[in-house]
Amino acid sequence: MPMRRKRLFQLPWRSRAAIARDVDEELAFHLESRVAELTAHGVAPADARRRALHEFGDIDRTRDYCRAVDERDDRALRMTERLAEWNRDARFALRTLWRAPGFSLVSLLTLALAIGANTAVFSVARAVLLAPPPYASPSSLVRLYDASTTDLTERTPFSPANLADYREQQRSLVGIGAYLGNTPTWQPEHGQPEILIAETVTPDLFGLLGVRALHGRTFVPSDSASGLGLTIILSYEFWHRTFGDDSTIVGKRIPLNNRTYEVLGVMPRGFTLGMSEDVWFPLKLSYPLNDSLTARRQHYLNVVARLRQGVTLERARADLATIARRLEAQYPEANTGRTTVIVPLHEALAGDLRPALLLLQAAAVMVLLIACANLTNLGLSRSTGRRREMAVRAALGAGRARIARELLVESAILAIIGGVLGILLAIGATRALLALDARALPPMFDVTIDARVLAFSLALSLATGVLVGLVPAVRTARDDLHESLKAGGRAATAGGDSLRRALVVAQVSLAVVLLVGTGLLVRSLRELTRAQIGFDPSHVLTAQLRASGHGYDSAGTIGRFYGQVISGIASAPGVVAAGAATMLPTRGSVSTTLRIEGEPVDERNLPEVGFVAVRGGYFEAMRIPLIAGRLFDRTDGPTGPEAVLINQAAARRFFPSGDAIGRRIRIGPNPNGEPMTIVGIVGDIRGEALDIPAKPTLFADYRREDWERSAFIVIRTTGDPNRAAPLVRRSVQRADPTLAVRDVAPLEDVLGASLAPRRFALGLVSAFAAIALMLSAIGIYGVLSYMVASRTREFGVRIALGATTRSVLSLVLRQGVAWSLAGVGLGLAGTVAGGRLLAGMLYGVRPVDATTYAVVVIGLLAVVIAACAIPAVRATRADPVESMRGE
Amino acid sequence: MARTPPEMLQGTVDILILRALALEPMHGYAISRWLDARSEGVLTVDGAALYQALHRLSHRKWVSSEWGLSENNRRAKFYSITPTGRARLRAESAMWVSYAEAVFKVLRPA
Repeated sequence: MPMRRKRLFQLPWRSRAAIARDVDEELAFHLESRVAELTAHGVAPADARRRALHEFGDIDRTRDYCRAVDERDDRALRMTERLAEWNRDARFALRTLWRAPGFSLVSLLTLALAIGANTAVFSVARAVLLAPPPYASPSSLVRLYDASTTDLTERTPFSPANLADYREQQRSLVGIGAYLGNTPTWQPEHGQPEILIAETVTPDLFGLLGVRALHGRTFVPSDSASGLGLTIILSYEFWHRTFGDDSTIVGKRIPLNNRTYEVLGVMPRGFTLGMSEDVWFPLKLSYPLNDSLTARRQHYLNVVARLRQGVTLERARADLATIARRLEAQYPEANTGRTTVIVPLHEALAGDLRPALLLLQAAAVMVLLIACANLTNLGLSRSTGRRREMAVRAALGAGRARIARELLVESAILAIIGGVLGILLAIGATRALLALDARALPPMFDVTIDARVLAFSLALSLATGVLVGLVPAVRTARDDLHESLKAGGRAATAGGDSLRRALVVAQVSLAVVLLVGTGLLVRSLRELTRAQIGFDPSHVLTAQLRASGHGYDSAGTIGRFYGQVISGIASAPGVVAAGAATMLPTRGSVSTTLRIEGEPVDERNLPEVGFVAVRGGYFEAMRIPLIAGRLFDRTDGPTGPEAVLINQAAARRFFPSGDAIGRRIRIGPNPNGEPMTIVGIVGDIRGEALDIPAKPTLFADYRREDWERSAFIVIRTTGDPNRAAPLVRRSVQRADPTLAVRDVAPLEDVLGASLAPRRFALGLVSAFAAIALMLSAIGIYGVLSYMVASRTREFGVRIALGATTRSVLSLVLRQGVAWSLAGVGLGLAGTVAGGRLLAGMLYGVRPVDATTYAVVVIGLLAVVIAACAIPAVRATRADPVESMRGE
Repeated sequence: MARTPPEMLQGTVDILILRALALEPMHGYAISRWLDARSEGVLTVDGAALYQALHRLSHRKWVSSEWGLSENNRRAKFYSITPTGRARLRAESAMWVSYAEAVFKVLRPA
């Protein structure tokens, strides 16, 4: 029989109809009283009625007014009542939770970990994928790249001549801006000179990005770069650090590269093109027309554009493709097989991080699912344990709906507290992880817990809490409470058990997926750190130098400076070898085209080869082995035939018959340039990134190159490389006091920086996997404990009938292990399917890796058996006498 | 009979009702009779203004109401003044008296 909740006290709630009736009755009473009085004074009844109505005034309006006022009162009353009721429910729930501290703590911990994981990932994803770059109308901004028609992901910057043609011929863009990085030397009147990070930009770039200066002005499209002369724009950060927020700096001249530059303006805080630049110079987009092939073949301009109002990405793509085909036909030597790709700016910025973030999001969702399974199981066990309590309360007049609502309120309260804990956890965890290594994310992305993240997390935890609370609440409402009162709260429904088992299996399978994923990532990182990188980064200090200023305009002057610095360092005690190169491993690469003498040359399709100029004892300092021939020596130099070295990859690719040494080659755009002679072959090194094998590379003698003013110094020391840092500064000071040193760091740190995003992702994923394992162990423990508790009598009877401790133990353990094995099976199937998500993040290990699988399965089973141990032991302690009596 | 335009004297009607209820709980008709008698027929409040005022006062919790039986055994809604209503009455009366005195001073022939 359905029970209706009876109120102990009558609440003064009335329906609309009752309110209307009351008002009508009240007004009728007034009129009748008046009529009665008038007739008592001898007025005829009909007249009395008319007079009473007339005296009353507007009765319809009064009726409506009174009804409206009363209804509003009633609503307010209901609201306060409801609030009071919620308040009562909440207090009641808090008391109940307080009385079940074990359940509450485990639930809160589970929720906090799951919500924390999801909040942390969402805050990073928001910063990287959702937050727009700090420019006006960022959605219409795009990056353009010169790309291969056969592989659109093979992208390079633009050549100045091609860019000029695109700027002139395009019809779909507001404009095309370009920039190019450099490293000027800042020479303050007092203090040490400093190498800055700068971008040289086309004057229209700031206008395209829609960013105005904080003080002074930016370059504007109407400026011609040549008219701008020696001008400069400062970043907020450089201005703040160097000029202490002095806005009168605008219009003054400041010293860089042995010249003075007029400050045009200061940009707002946080503005960057992506490199955290200190200053910007105007870029003059002119190129020597007599050497137009060079101007088409040298690719060094980064390009940003803005779509015209109403122009879609597709139309812009078509527009640019038309120009690309025209340029290909016009300048086949430079543009054969090349086209232009257009990528939304935001996508271009987040590009590298997207797969890692998707992976993290998937991992966080799995943690949440495991947590949901755990919470459902906990809630089910608890509600079964409380059947007697519920039955008693139902018998005392509490309705099913009310009991179900109480259970839901309990879940919601747990969810809110757990959610808040989780958010705090996420704030702490992301801060800690980013503090470990700030290089994990590009500086443009600002990871914060803002209102959006907070709303997301609270909504997520509330949804989780309510969904999970729904299962036991519905089951309780459906239960025949009288039956369970009679059964003394012992009867357990079979349906509940199978649901519980299914949840445990699901949990374990998700944990397996996470553990396998983590295992594969850990193995990848280990493979990477001990990959055959081809050089020995330990005990090596690196530093960036630049010979800035008009004193350095020839190979001779630049060479003298570097020669002096390197010999100063090399002769110091504790230094094994010192040298320099135009590029450090993992910091980027420069390519050129190659022509081999005596072999057919396809001018339209010249092979590419990496190019590094080296000086001094570079190979010795890096411990790159000489495989054949010789290194540069005194016989080489600024004059005479030029010698070059190639790496093994180049030797294999271009000289498969092994006759590289002594061959003559030409590099660069000019087919009739000075030939160079290969004198030696050196070992391959991972130059571009640690996870990309060496590509064919050519090493030239720095002493012959007059175009490259900056270089990285490498110093091999006997002890701690950091101790050589003052030595570098001293040597540079002695060679030229106006020049500076930048980024002095051990080579191991430079390589570490290239792995920082990977370490960050791995840190989060392994934390998630640990959480998953722990939650699954708790889940198995909980369900087994419940099973043992509800079957105590059965175990007692078994023991009474002669079952040994061992057989009871193995009975329980078998249960736990059987569920886990089912979970492991499903999980392994899942990893095979999910391996694709990981593929891009793996190195040196395949998504299906037997070793990782084995380690995960064995480790997981060990944890499962540990989790089963306590309930199993408890089962063996079932008292046979007690259980017979209970029956 | 002098009819009081409700929109002009809304505040006045409120304070008169509170004054009436300060004596004892009454139903609406009794209030109107009391006002009529007390003001010797000058301050007659029509039913529309009276009941709108009563429900408004009830909403502001200055008066409370309950159903009871009238003198001739009919069901009638009785209003009584609440402590807040009483405080209000005191404050409004003082203001009214000083206001009336001021008006009186101005109007008095010099």
